[in-house]
Amino acid sequence: MRDASLPKRRSELGEILYHLVRDPLGLAGLVIVMLILASAIFAPLIAPYDPIALNVPDRLQGPSTAHLMGTDQLGRDTFSRVIWGGRVALQVALPTIGGAIFFGLLLGMIAGYGPKWLDNLIVLVFDTIRSFPTVMFALAVVALVGPSLNTVIVVIMVTSIPTYGRVVRTLTQSLKEAEFITAEKSLGASTPRIMAVHILPNVLGPLAVLAAMDIPTVVGLEAGLSFLGMGVKPPTPSWGSLLNDGYNLIRNTPWLIIAGGIPLILTTIGFTFLGEALRDVVDPKLRGKGGK
Amino acid sequence: MTVLDIRNLSVSYATPRGELKALREVSMTVPERSIVGIVGESGCGKSTLISAIIRLMAPNAQVGAGSVAFKGDDLLTLADAQMRALRGTEISMVFQDPMQTHNPVLTVGRQMMDIQYRDALSKAEKRKRAADMLALVGIPDAQARLNQYPFEFSGGMRQRIAIAMALMAKPSLLIADEPTTALDATLEVQIIKRLRELQDDIGCSILFISHHLGVIAELCDEVVVMYAGEVVEAGSVRDVFHSPAHPYTRALLECDPGHIKEKTRNLPTIPGSIPDMVNLPGGCIFADRCPMRFEACATRPAMAEARTGHKAACHLIKVEETA
Repeated sequence: MRDASLPKRRSELGEILYHLVRDPLGLAGLVIVMLILASAIFAPLIAPYDPIALNVPDRLQGPSTAHLMGTDQLGRDTFSRVIWGGRVALQVALPTIGGAIFFGLLLGMIAGYGPKWLDNLIVLVFDTIRSFPTVMFALAVVALVGPSLNTVIVVIMVTSIPTYGRVVRTLTQSLKEAEFITAEKSLGASTPRIMAVHILPNVLGPLAVLAAMDIPTVVGLEAGLSFLGMGVKPPTPSWGSLLNDGYNLIRNTPWLIIAGGIPLILTTIGFTFLGEALRDVVDPKLRGKGGK
Repeated sequence: MTVLDIRNLSVSYATPRGELKALREVSMTVPERSIVGIVGESGCGKSTLISAIIRLMAPNAQVGAGSVAFKGDDLLTLADAQMRALRGTEISMVFQDPMQTHNPVLTVGRQMMDIQYRDALSKAEKRKRAADMLALVGIPDAQARLNQYPFEFSGGMRQRIAIAMALMAKPSLLIADEPTTALDATLEVQIIKRLRELQDDIGCSILFISHHLGVIAELCDEVVVMYAGEVVEAGSVRDVFHSPAHPYTRALLECDPGHIKEKTRNLPTIPGSIPDMVNLPGGCIFADRCPMRFEACATRPAMAEARTGHKAACHLIKVEETA
């Protein structure tokens, strides 16, 4: 039951959103990200054509009212492929980032708070994974098990875990020594309580920023792998395969490669803006100071 | 009845140079409903002592011998879970720097409600209790302020919040580790007064650590003087401050700027420095710096009674008695 005499108070998430939309950068980022998300979710409604339906007589047409971004060499509507490609991009990016955050948090907090030997072991694993260049690693795995969306997701996730894990580990280590943690212990907080109530909220903010900034990287990786033919299998539309199709025909039909490039650029800009703005907003101390 | 009874407690730290004997055979008691001060310069073992009481010691610390009896139970032999059950309910603590003792990303209300996790109360009840505690320590408009973050409070207010959190469960013993050192003089007086009132209300004992003699004199009933890991003098505030029996206490009192009557360029100091606690000299720990050193000081003095309830570890007491 809510006490009526209490002054109005937004939830933590509401507070973050409130300050986010007041920052022009944050608002721009949020709008772009929402547009990308909406177009991915409502792809079947937005896309005017079936993205994999062949229509060879209409191939390689320039932009027109019938085909906003023209058609490719098989007569497929490029605009529809861009919209559906966004779906693929997010299908890769969201589980990848989600999984990387989950395992990064888990391993990072254990490494940062746990015994020294466990820390050493986890850091060793992190360093081993990070010593492989992601694309090389991905190509090797794809060569072994064959290209598929799931392979791409798992490979990018595994190679992203150390990035998150190391940030969490470092933050946890410094928080562990913080006086307020000792103070909480002196008031009877157990280790799980300290981790969940006191360390986790202090780590989540920076991690959200990192994740927002990381989404374009993951989307780019997926596009890169698909460009190389190591990602999603044709005819599934991906921004990367759009780029590849466009690249081959760049002299005659430049709109194809532009159509594949624009969503990548928008994704990068949108999530980077959002990440930048989030950084000022997740720390309650900086709230309302960053935005004008 | 004594709330806390420490007997012959020795604690050492493992260092690259060897074993640093931070506490040596420390004995002291905290009677029920009383405020006991511990005074001594930096490095005398005050912090080690309280970390040993509440069992939140540095990883390289080791208890050599002794016991810390809290209401009859030896805290040093309790299981971790039993010790944790006591923290915050029976024994709690206020720290030195109020700017560092609160979680920066959680509202004060959230933190104050969280520490009541052991109580089967509804959220509204916990919130009510948190607000009542804030009001009790003198924070106006407590209900609304529960929604604020620690950085929205001043240092003095944060220290009051820390006190409110520590006293929430009405503990029997509050350990205050230099709670006013980081505050300015006027706030210091306010906090001291508030502590005294709260102690009266709740009926707890306070173990108050400070290097500020004035505060100890103002607040405490009894005082324990520590030097280089040993208790050198203990007694009522009146006895110890008015007729100190140990030369170190005397020197410490002379160094208190409050005692200086005339304008001077050089503040008084105690010549020499604390002995190396890895390679301890034999005999009296203070002998090197003591102006009244004599032959007997080559052996370690035991605590001797200067008058009833007033003890000091100095050979001079016996000499004066026989003289």
